[in-house]
Amino acid sequence: MPEPVLSIRDLTVEFDTEDGVVRAVTGVSYELFPGEVLGVVGESGSGKSVSVLSVLGLIPQPPGRIPFGEAVFKGRDLLKLSRSELQDIRGGEVAMIFQDPMTSLNPVLTIGEQITEALKAHNQGMSDSAAEARTVELLEVVGVPFAERRVHQYPHEFSGGMRQRAMIAMAIANDPTVLVADEPTTALDVTIQAQIVEVLKAAQRETHAAIILITHDLGLIAELADRVVVMYASRVVELGDVFTIFSRPRHPYTVGLMNSLARLDSEKEWLEPIPGQPPSLITPPPGCAFHPRCAQSQGRALCRSDIPVLRDFGEGAEHLSACHFAEELAAREVRTGAAAEGS
Amino acid sequence: MSEAQAMHAAEIPAASTDDILRIEGLVKHFPIKAGVFKHTVGQVRAVDGVDLVVRRGETLGVVGESGCGKTTLGRTIIKLIEPTEGKIVFDGQDITRFKRKQMRPVRRDIQIVFQDPYASLNPRMTVREIVGEPLRIHGLYTRGEGARRVEELLRTVGLSPEHANRFPHEFSGGQRQRIGVARALALNPRMMVLDEPVSALDVSIQAQVVNLLAQLQRDLGLTYLFIAHDLSVVRHVSDRVAVMYLGKIVEVGSRAEIYGSPMHPYTQALLSAVPIDSPDQRGKRKRIVLEGDVPSPANPPSGCRFRTRCWKAKDICAEEDPPLVPRGGGAHPVACHFAEIMRPLDLVEDAAVAVAPTKTI
Repeated sequence: MPEPVLSIRDLTVEFDTEDGVVRAVTGVSYELFPGEVLGVVGESGSGKSVSVLSVLGLIPQPPGRIPFGEAVFKGRDLLKLSRSELQDIRGGEVAMIFQDPMTSLNPVLTIGEQITEALKAHNQGMSDSAAEARTVELLEVVGVPFAERRVHQYPHEFSGGMRQRAMIAMAIANDPTVLVADEPTTALDVTIQAQIVEVLKAAQRETHAAIILITHDLGLIAELADRVVVMYASRVVELGDVFTIFSRPRHPYTVGLMNSLARLDSEKEWLEPIPGQPPSLITPPPGCAFHPRCAQSQGRALCRSDIPVLRDFGEGAEHLSACHFAEELAAREVRTGAAAEGS
Repeated sequence: MSEAQAMHAAEIPAASTDDILRIEGLVKHFPIKAGVFKHTVGQVRAVDGVDLVVRRGETLGVVGESGCGKTTLGRTIIKLIEPTEGKIVFDGQDITRFKRKQMRPVRRDIQIVFQDPYASLNPRMTVREIVGEPLRIHGLYTRGEGARRVEELLRTVGLSPEHANRFPHEFSGGQRQRIGVARALALNPRMMVLDEPVSALDVSIQAQVVNLLAQLQRDLGLTYLFIAHDLSVVRHVSDRVAVMYLGKIVEVGSRAEIYGSPMHPYTQALLSAVPIDSPDQRGKRKRIVLEGDVPSPANPPSGCRFRTRCWKAKDICAEEDPPLVPRGGGAHPVACHFAEIMRPLDLVEDAAVAVAPTKTI
């Protein structure tokens, strides 16, 4: 097993709000290995974005704070770095792509100026002409047509899809080791999404960066991720290889999520939603936060009293679940499989 | 039978056809104004000649990307926006030129549910006031009956009557959308325009609302015009599907026809772009990645509007706007000179990503 490039351990992030303290991230641990695409999936408020943005110093503090945890990147704990040390890493070795390129690009600078700025910020002594040439090259990598002409245009002259390409060009400008993509396709139309998926693949071929793909879109995960971290109510509830997560999910929330999707290859008359609503993070339910909505718990006391830990339930360290009854899910599937064979 | 239903029966004669809504040549242009004197310097052709029929009791899905005009279409149909040209016939009645007052009884029959449950509910009103408002406006909120009707509506959409005294901010997105649905149901409509009703919701909650809408349709015999960009959801809910591109319908057919044997290159590209359902399908779906972006509706291409992104485009496409008629051996209408069936959703081994080149004609 190679060394992880980024290792997040026991991370907890809290926010002070008018209504009380919100624990957005609770005891989250995961590792990112070189060259992989790690999907972090969850619904709004699950903590998927905060778990990544907080270690990069991208949440406002206050109201946010990080009472525990570490995030080791190349031997250094990012949470212990000074503001300027973090700034050197961001946009250089760790680069980011955000959901809404319009708010992440500076409207008064041309696309070219913004990319050359990113290049020169991390490459002292790079000449203007070299930076410009590289900028055009980068825009070509991400498929911006007529790149030589379009470097001189402003963000408003780019369409949504083209802006997202420009963002990706900027993110890969300094050959990052880690690329964080936070809902990179969410604001885009389907046909543009498909373009951006191809661009992300090209960006990874170009840089060999490890990608953290934060998204609520299981389709995007199915398309791109190697491994998946599933988050619910601020915690990691399941972790595993993407094929395993889709074919043998072992947390009732993941199972519920898969079942609630409208799929193009299904003829189900009714979708199978997860009942109830996501819990409040200020006063989460006792025990497992998912128990009020859980099909597996069936009111068992353990689910209401004990917070399940993310554990190996018999499939090895590659597939972890934070369900007291993960083994039951496995057993039930074997039974139904056997029944199907028998019939 | 509630009071509203009783009035209903008295006013509107039984329909004679299977079509609840028929629109012909519908056009909505928005003027582009510029300068100190706000001269009109151009027109955004949001909806540009749409013919469509919605059958009683069906769900007609309308899909397309942002800016294709699907939302404007939905709002023009119920005359939240006045059409520029064309004809809207609802239940045998031409409502195109109906004034506000004439529209009132029609508004009871056809309601709308909006996408954003955060923006479409007045934050200063309680749920009781929000859901009861349509009843008040139509003079149907009587002292004893009104409150009871609101509670009944809340139960119908899966909320509890105790929720009636709360304010919208106390609810999650999914619950707010239920409130929006309850409000739309207040007047016992026969048809609902659902404008992206689940796209602002989380996946697990989307399924709840989709099921709720399906249940209501079954119980109340509603007709839906379901506008959405999510092709998986539209496939799940729709009996028939219309595909829009730049203000026009390019293909319309049954769900099986549109998803199983699409004939328009745009429909094919759209379907091929839908994310796969599971990682096992990686590399097994033909991908037609369209180059470029949707052209501006203020200055659409001549002839076929899709030709600038189409890999089949020839000279005729720039000259002649292809009418929406059955062609190419298919049974359903499609607006393409070179329509032919291709099945982008079929899984194949070693599917390549095909890039449709941008044409500059």
